Amino acid sequence: MSKGEEYFSYDDEIVKKFILATVIWAGAALLFGIVVALQLAYWPFNFNSEYFSFGRLRPLHTNAAIFAFAGNAIFAGIYYSTQRLLKTRMFLDSLSKIHFWGWQFIIVAAAITLPLGYTQSKEYAELEWPIDIAIAVIWVIFAINFFATIKNRREKHMYVAVWFYIATIITVAVLHIVNSIEIPVSLFKSYPVYAGIQDALVQWWYGHNAVAFFLTTPFLGLMYYFMPKICNRPIYSYRLSIIHFWSLVFIYIWAGPHHLLYTALPDWAQTLGMVFSIMLWAPSWGGMINGLLTLRGAWHLLRTDPLVKFMVAAITFYGMATFEGPLLSIKSISSIGHYTDWIVGHVHGGTLGWNGFLSFAVIYYLTPKLWNTTLYSIKLAETHFWLGLAGTLLYYVSMVVAGITQGLMLLAIDKTGQLVYPDFIETVIKIVPLYWVRAIGGILYFAGFCLLAYNIYKTIKNAPKTSVQEKHLATRVKFNFDGERGHRKLEGKVLIFSVLTFIAIAVGSIIEIIPTLSLHKYVKPASITTPYTALELAGRDIYIREGCYTCHSQMIRKMPAEVLRYGKASTIEDSMWDRPFQWGSKRTGPDLARLGKKYPDLWHYRHMLDPRSVSAGSIMPTYKWLYTKNIDFLILRKKLSVLRNLGVPYSEEEIVKADLDATRQAEEIAASLKAEGIETEKLSSKEIIALIAYLQVLGQKEPIQK
Amino acid sequence: MKQEGLSYFTDTWLTLIALIIFFVFFVALTIVVLRLKKKHIEKMSKLPLEEDQYE
Repeated sequence: MSKGEEYFSYDDEIVKKFILATVIWAGAALLFGIVVALQLAYWPFNFNSEYFSFGRLRPLHTNAAIFAFAGNAIFAGIYYSTQRLLKTRMFLDSLSKIHFWGWQFIIVAAAITLPLGYTQSKEYAELEWPIDIAIAVIWVIFAINFFATIKNRREKHMYVAVWFYIATIITVAVLHIVNSIEIPVSLFKSYPVYAGIQDALVQWWYGHNAVAFFLTTPFLGLMYYFMPKICNRPIYSYRLSIIHFWSLVFIYIWAGPHHLLYTALPDWAQTLGMVFSIMLWAPSWGGMINGLLTLRGAWHLLRTDPLVKFMVAAITFYGMATFEGPLLSIKSISSIGHYTDWIVGHVHGGTLGWNGFLSFAVIYYLTPKLWNTTLYSIKLAETHFWLGLAGTLLYYVSMVVAGITQGLMLLAIDKTGQLVYPDFIETVIKIVPLYWVRAIGGILYFAGFCLLAYNIYKTIKNAPKTSVQEKHLATRVKFNFDGERGHRKLEGKVLIFSVLTFIAIAVGSIIEIIPTLSLHKYVKPASITTPYTALELAGRDIYIREGCYTCHSQMIRKMPAEVLRYGKASTIEDSMWDRPFQWGSKRTGPDLARLGKKYPDLWHYRHMLDPRSVSAGSIMPTYKWLYTKNIDFLILRKKLSVLRNLGVPYSEEEIVKADLDATRQAEEIAASLKAEGIETEKLSSKEIIALIAYLQVLGQKEPIQK
Repeated sequence: MKQEGLSYFTDTWLTLIALIIFFVFFVALTIVVLRLKKKHIEKMSKLPLEEDQYE
């Protein structure tokens, strides 16, 4: 052994743990996906159950897919590749373990609280405040472990994969913390500090960049490491990877407002979001080309090696999804696609194709290596690939067709200026067959996954029982940067690199968010409305609990067909007291922004009990439990008081008498229902009354200054 | 719509700043990338494949 050389070993136990967790949670995420897909095709699959209804299971599915399946896959890949690229063991095994078990605990907490209805209703950020804090703590522990490992490295320069991991860790921390600033009311209920339009902008800055920095940058890091490994040749162009990295982290962060086109968001922010989305074409495709061309001269592997198939398909789906994303961000295309199943198809092209296939390739690659054996069956992996591909394509095509069909039907105006399809339900009935096709696509994908689970199980079972920890020999020298300049030097300077990454993501964030926080610029004082009454607020929190936002928007876009269908376009003032905002992102049912007073109380009473009794062909679940559960009147004082602290103009008297006022308003509604022949005992204390109070005030608020 | 679009072009200093920021960013990035030495690029590209030598 020469001077400076020493033996060390990698911590592969933590990688094994994350691999197993990935497989387990992928099964859960996909299974929930099939359940919610079937619920949309055939409403009785909601089983009339509070804990099993679509509005509560859909967030469970998305959270499981993003944070449990993709999350664990990312961590497995990061822990494996970081140690090897930096030629050092992770900084502290104990921190790795806390990260692993903490993350699994958070997933379990989500799996329990979401079906129970504890939700903030902000997409991919639904979890309530105690879990938000846990996520922040675990993420910081992960960051400490990761950056300390970089500091401990034996390799002078950081490879491109590590840059993508750095960007992920920094940006996810910023996104999560800024979007989760909320004031608790009770252990599992909080109100965000942002309201209405601010909340919308912050949420979609978060939501868009959760896709960017949780489902894209870490996976690109994995691509840059595992693609060369799997096809045993270096990345196509290291130069291109530098341009890919910096332009992606710089541009991605700006594109959030493309989720809010034609809404009440100021036009400048919408245009900014659209332009930056189109600019994203370039870095995204640069990355895709870099990944695919790595296979140059070895394309024959695509015929024989299922791992290469998964990788190439994943990168191709990345290219497709990142082509379609900017396309959908163009305002005229968004006018058709937004709120429809086209978006659902788009994201599943990304998650099933890109994240799913890349994770599978990593699992197939790592399992035999980590357990010191060979893969149980190449043939099963091959079958998995074709099942997965068929499932993804079936899913994608059915949803794009459904989305464009419904989008065009909803926009159709005849020669006399009337809507061609005035009943929303007509457009739903038309696409229900495609919901079945989608469910079949999901089942095929799941079937493929089951082959993976079996293959991995058998591989590990057949592996040698005694594992020897491999020792590696490396030299530790003090890094000398003399004579180095430009990017080469930067690749060795972690702190400067991280700060530059932070600046790249901060510029766009600050320019977009700061002006919107000064709400007064956009609100017309004469249009400021009265805040919700205590009962309406109770009803609103039930609306949030049941996940109504997963199928109904509250945002009438500035478009002729929308105004004809739903009424005057939504304004900033309409939602200025809304914590959280409920603009929504998908219309499986119609928009509700101006639902108030459109139907009598009795209609709502019957509709929530059995939607099909008033709307033939409806696919909405029933909400029977709202007729037996009692309104929590006592917490209303606390709720109003928290909201007043956040700036909602409730008087001291309104807060003190919140429960009494709510009881009185509930009794009035109950009396009107009784007059129509509804005979339910203690009707005025049931949750359905609060919900009716809320639904009837939507779009009906009076301005404070008359 | 056209009117609305044209109204943005009154703030020419805004578009100018944006143009400068992006022009400078991408030109600087290109220069940085072109200045990289081939030897360094080759070494870095091979990093993921290198560790197998130890195994």
